[in-house]
Amino acid sequence: MTTAVADAHAAEDHDDHGPTKGYKRWLFSTNHKDIGTMYLIFSLVMFFVGGAMAMVIRSELAVPGLQFVHPEFFNSMTTMHALIMVFGAVMPAFVGLANWMIPLMIGAPDMALPRMNNWSFWILPVAFGILLSTLLMPGGAPAGGWTMYPPLILQTGDAFPFLIFSVHLMGISSIMGSINVIVTIINMRAPDMTLLKMPMFVWTWLITAYLLIAVMPVLAGAVTMLLTDQFFGTSFFLAAGGGDPVMFQHIFWFFGHPEVYIMILPAFGVVSEIIPTFSRKKLFGHDSMVYAASCIAFLSFIVWAHHMFTVGMPLTGQLFFMFATMLIAVPTGVKIFNWVATMWRGAMTFETPMLFSLAFVFLFTIGGFSGLMLAIQPADVQYHDTYFVVAHFHYVLVPGSVFAIMAGAYYWLPKWTGHMYNEKLGKLHFWASTIFVNITFFPQHFLGLAGMPRRIPDYSVQFADFNLVSSIGAIGFGLSQLLFVAVLLTAKRGEKATDRVWEGSHGLEWTVPSPAPWHTFTTPPKARIANESFE
Amino acid sequence: MDEQERRKNIRRTALIAAAVALAFYIGFIMMGVMRS
Repeated sequence: MTTAVADAHAAEDHDDHGPTKGYKRWLFSTNHKDIGTMYLIFSLVMFFVGGAMAMVIRSELAVPGLQFVHPEFFNSMTTMHALIMVFGAVMPAFVGLANWMIPLMIGAPDMALPRMNNWSFWILPVAFGILLSTLLMPGGAPAGGWTMYPPLILQTGDAFPFLIFSVHLMGISSIMGSINVIVTIINMRAPDMTLLKMPMFVWTWLITAYLLIAVMPVLAGAVTMLLTDQFFGTSFFLAAGGGDPVMFQHIFWFFGHPEVYIMILPAFGVVSEIIPTFSRKKLFGHDSMVYAASCIAFLSFIVWAHHMFTVGMPLTGQLFFMFATMLIAVPTGVKIFNWVATMWRGAMTFETPMLFSLAFVFLFTIGGFSGLMLAIQPADVQYHDTYFVVAHFHYVLVPGSVFAIMAGAYYWLPKWTGHMYNEKLGKLHFWASTIFVNITFFPQHFLGLAGMPRRIPDYSVQFADFNLVSSIGAIGFGLSQLLFVAVLLTAKRGEKATDRVWEGSHGLEWTVPSPAPWHTFTTPPKARIANESFE
Repeated sequence: MDEQERRKNIRRTALIAAAVALAFYIGFIMMGVMRS
């Protein structure tokens, strides 16, 4: 393999057309690695912006009564926090990982549509610039929740059209990004890489990209209808004009539930790359993982109404959505057991990426179980719109998606920078994050079960203790993330990374030098691929 | 597969994906129009 790969790289000393110098390198970049880096940096910035809003929320909720902000601004914070974290932090982070790693994993020289790749990134800062500018507008930023339910969202002030426009831009960016991923994976794989030989990260992204193509336009359609209701006299969702506000909820959640899997399937892919590496074993049940991910994607389209059990629907509808939702536990269970089976009798070591992946498996499962509880329709009537829901989706998204992104960042950082990161700092980041994330979100289960509603700036004194604990945890979690910035700032000070970086790593991305040259696989690799180091 | 054919396939896959996205966008708005 080494010879074949060396041959493939022999033609890659492209000193004559390396990156352009200065800002033009980034503004006009069509290189998947540069665009991946920009996505990752952008998502980190948004993670801190959204995180700062979370700090405002948790500071206000630390004790009962109104402390720091007006209730209207508090509502803006919950709305903006969610929009920024979902569309600005988690999704772009996975797109960044995809940009960096998919071409390297499949032996392609770049993404298939590099100029569109540049567009899909640069639309994002514009979209979030517009969204964040609403904080300064008369009437304040949108405050009707990230779900944008009418008629409440139609009461937004001057910010309303800007919200709609920014959501459209985010959607266009995501759709272009996912078209690029699909086209790249379908058409640019190394000659002997058949579909089932693709690494799990590539597979999960392929499925995610199909989900994005199907559901982002649905969100765009929903917000377009909101826009015409507000400004062009239509009544899609206005009861006074014969419209149906509940229809918006159906359309929104037809987008919204697959969106959950858009944020978690690539996380499954990252973890499926890392666990075999640090267990020094082949991924257990690769093909079953592919089928499970496809199954999850399919089921994600037929469970949307479990988000709106309380709007009133026929009993048959309640039963269908309840059982369909529970069914998702089966393919998800396949994945969890496969990861455990991969680790079983493996020669495991616990470097930072593995620690984040292990925490992912444990803590995401907690989020999954609370999801099962919420799927039970009669119980959901009690849990709906309480802090139990907040605890549930934060367990899925923070120690789920965010931890997987962190795991991926630590795992591939040496390949990106050419140096090993500071392992002690990484482990400190891991332990601080894991401890504080549980202190933040676990008590919220109890608050929800005791009946504390979500999206309120003040609450009854009976909820005071758990809220204080949660707020302390949140501040701790926020500060812990500064350790990640320290890791990044010192990333090039560590010892030189080898090409393979990790003892147990396998796959094409580990055959290129560290740091990965600006051009890779200009000649399709002849190497046999897909798990061959374990065969 | 030669480069020419690969480019053709890339264009075709991209156009199909874009058409699917457009169909979902227009389809859901049309559904709203029919209902209201």
